[in-house]
Parts: sequence; C-alpha cells; structure tokens
Amino acid sequence: MTVMIDLKNVSYRYPVSDDFVLKNVSFSIEKGKFTAIIGNNGSGKTTLCNTIRGFVPHFYKGDLEGDVIVDQTKILDYQLGQLGEKVGYVFQNPFIQVSGVKDNVFEEVAYGLENLGVPVEEIIVRVEEILKLVKIEHLREKNPFELSGGQRQRVALASIIVMDPEILVIDEPTSQLDPVGTEQIFDIIRLMKERGKTIILVEHKMDLIAEYADDLLVMHEGELVMQGPVREVFANPEFEKYQIQYPHVTEIALQLQKMGTPLAFLPIRDEELAEALNMTGVKIHD
Amino acid sequence: MKQNILLQLHPLTKFYFSLFILVIVLIIPGYSFAFAIFPVLVLIAVFAGVSKEFLSIVLKALLSVLIIVFIMQMFFYPGDHVLWNWGIFSIKQEGVDYGLLLTSRILAIGSSFILFFRMTEVRDFVKSLEDKGLPPMGAYVVLSTLQIIPEMKRQANTIMEAQKTRGVETEGSLLIRAKAFIPTLTPLILSSIAGTEERAITLESRAFSAPVKKTSLHQLTKSNVDRVLPIVYVLIIVGLLVWRFFL
Repeated sequence: MTVMIDLKNVSYRYPVSDDFVLKNVSFSIEKGKFTAIIGNNGSGKTTLCNTIRGFVPHFYKGDLEGDVIVDQTKILDYQLGQLGEKVGYVFQNPFIQVSGVKDNVFEEVAYGLENLGVPVEEIIVRVEEILKLVKIEHLREKNPFELSGGQRQRVALASIIVMDPEILVIDEPTSQLDPVGTEQIFDIIRLMKERGKTIILVEHKMDLIAEYADDLLVMHEGELVMQGPVREVFANPEFEKYQIQYPHVTEIALQLQKMGTPLAFLPIRDEELAEALNMTGVKIHD
Repeated sequence: MKQNILLQLHPLTKFYFSLFILVIVLIIPGYSFAFAIFPVLVLIAVFAGVSKEFLSIVLKALLSVLIIVFIMQMFFYPGDHVLWNWGIFSIKQEGVDYGLLLTSRILAIGSSFILFFRMTEVRDFVKSLEDKGLPPMGAYVVLSTLQIIPEMKRQANTIMEAQKTRGVETEGSLLIRAKAFIPTLTPLILSSIAGTEERAITLESRAFSAPVKKTSLHQLTKSNVDRVLPIVYVLIIVGLLVWRFFL
C-alpha cells in the first residue's frame, strides 16, 4: 500500500501564541483508508486538518516543525493553489462555506470546477451527478445564503467532492444534521471510500465512526495519544483516560462487564452486542 | 422575460453607450442638446421596460444634486449681467447659463449611467470585464460585495435580536434607537472581519488560486448588433470632433 499522508514529529504553534497546538505528532495514512480523528474540544483536531490541507503553514503562518508529506511531496514544496485539486477540505462552519458570488446551489457546486478550468460541458455532467448523490437536487435553484444549516452542510460537501480530490479532509460534516441526514452523509463518505479516496474525518458521533472508519487517531491536548484500527483503540483500556465518548454499545458492554457479565469481546457496533454476550441463540422479546 | 432586445445586448455595448453619451455631451456646446438627451434615455428605458425604476432613481439621486448645483451657480458664478438682487445675493445671467450647462450635463451623464445599471445585471457586467482581462480577484471583490451586503443585513438583525434578549433597548425614541446602534454595530463589524479569514479559506478550498485558466458556466453572447454599435459610436464621436474643431 502506498502511504498518502505522512507526518513526522510535527509540532505547530499559531502566530503570537506561546503554546504549541500540535505537539510532536507522527502518523501515516495509507491510500484508500478511512481514518477518523477524535478528541475533545480544543485538542487540535481542526489544526491537524489544516496542516494536512496545507493551510498550515501556507495560510496560517506560525512555527511548523517536522515534516508533513502528502503524496510523496513535502507540503512546503506545494503551492497552496495546487493542493486544491489534491486535498478536498470540508470544514466545520457550514455558514461561511459559501463562495459568496453565486446565486444558486447549482452554480455554487460548480464553482470549484470553474476555478480548476474544467470544460463547461463536463462541469454540468459532474455537478448533476453530485447533486443526485448528495440528494440536494431539489435545492438547485435556491440561493446558497438562504439555506438551513443542514442544507448548507450538504452543499459544502457536494462542492468539495465534485472536484474529485484524492484526499478528503472532512471536519464535523454532520454537526447540523438530523440522524437521517447524518446517515446519508456517512453513506456518501463510504461511497467515496469505495472509489478509492483517502478520507480523514473529524467527528464526535462514535457509533458512526465504529461502523464506518478503518483507523482512529485520538488527540488529547495537542498530542496524538493513540492510533490504530478502530476496534483496537476502543478496546484499549487507556482510551477511558481521555474522557472521550465510547460508542453507546461499547459503553453498555463495559458497564455490564463491570457488573460481572463476561464478554467474549468488546462490541463496537450495535449488532455485535448479542454475540459478545454469547447470547446469539436467544430471541429478543418485546 | 429576457426577450427584450435592449436588455439582451452585450453588457459592454450598453456600457459603451453610456460612455458615448458622456463624450458627446461634453463635445457639443450648449445645454439644449444635453437636456434633449434625457427624454431619449427615458424612451430607451420605456422600451427596455425599466422606466419605473429608472425614473425613481433619477429623482432620488439626481434631482437634489441638480437643484443645489443650479442654485449655487446661479448665485455665485461671477458675471456682470445682474438679473435680480437681494442684499448680498444676486442672480447673474452668466450664472444661470453656466448652471444650466452644468446641470444639463450632470443630468445626461448621470442618468445614462443609472440607465446602464438598470438595464444590466452587475454579474453580467463583471463577467464582460473579466472577459476583457479583469483579474478574477477583482471580479470576486465586486460580486461578493453584492451578495454580502444583504447577508450582513440579516446578520445585523440577528445581532439586534440577540442584544434585545440581553436587555438592550432597541425600540422607542430616536435617542434610544441610536444608543442601541453601537452595541449592534461593533459585533457586526468584528464578526465580518473575522469572517474574511474563513471566507479566504473557503475560496482556497474551492481551488480559487489554482494555477490554471478558469472556465465559466456563465457565458455572454455577442450578436452582430454588439459588434456594429461600438463602431457606430466611435464614428459619430469622430464626426462630431471633426465638426467641432475643424469646420
């Protein structure tokens, strides 16, 4: 497997700040993997995303130590404009993620492709496809400024994935969405993974991470404290220390274990609970 | 809706028309010609179906300026032919003439540009400038301003509501409302400044600075009329110049 993103001893401090927001972070992500970054507020998740996208150090100055390597090339050797095609970044605040020059959603989604110089006929085909995929076809004539938070979040995601970047960095894409909308977004992310994209996702909804993600990076106060396959990280007793939520089913299982119920393994998905309790044969009664 | 021939002209053709009016008004002496331009512009506005907005903006924006300019010139332009006298104020023939000349030109030029902006969508105009070589950065600034102003208005309302819930009085006499203005304005300006950084990142994540030539879904078409009209303008201007200075 080729390594897509490689960070070596990366530390970063925002300008005029005394404290490092990222402290000696090292990890590598293989091509085609879906990696989730979790951690409490202020633990450096978003800064980490900015670093992978190249906004650190190209846009935010400050001190960056260590090496950030994206697709075999150091981030410093890229121009910011070149990275746009390679790394798609959907960021947190959906309300500001509007270009501000387009009158309707269709053109808004097309904006990135226009900037990339894609021929008009191809733009129309690609935008149509993405609108269908993200299920926002009904919004196509609406003004992007008049959408609700959840709608904007979908438009923001559509605007990025339409550009077809190899790497997707997605920072809390579902914060404004209801459970159904959230599931849909995760379905799209899974589809992107099936298309071979490398995906980095910041998210607080552990149930969904457990279901979809391959690997987990746990951030705590600027340090990367744990990393590895999702199941291993959740099963590691160290995880409890960082006061991050478990998937609900894991929480329940741990509680049961504490009360003396033996577990075959630690379940992280809902459907695994019965199996973990060795009760696969037992029927559930209403 | 978009079947109007005048509205369908290329934005630059319309823009050149305004420039054309500006030039001929300056070339041709006397105020009667410049005043005669205005009814022509009104006629064009009627044909383009924008006469209502056109007239209301001319009234609001130009009328007061014209009156003030005319009165100032009438009283204070130096001259010998005093028409009317009251204390230190006197109206002179030269002042009236010059006032009429000035106001006629302001009216013709001002209303021709007002008409231009009534007949042209700004995004079309900016697009045409972009085709002519305006950098995308400049085009973005113009277009985003248009969209951001209503957005800021909305935000101002939100902040106003928020301040109301905190007990800031926002209704009542003029003084109270003026007082409420400051706690509304500060967060609005600050948040707008803070928003620019995120907006820059948004643009960047849409590959705004990608080192390639941009394409555009929005295309402007040029008809034969659009090719001929600018030449006609130039010919008329050259003709007028020749007539004015050589004959």
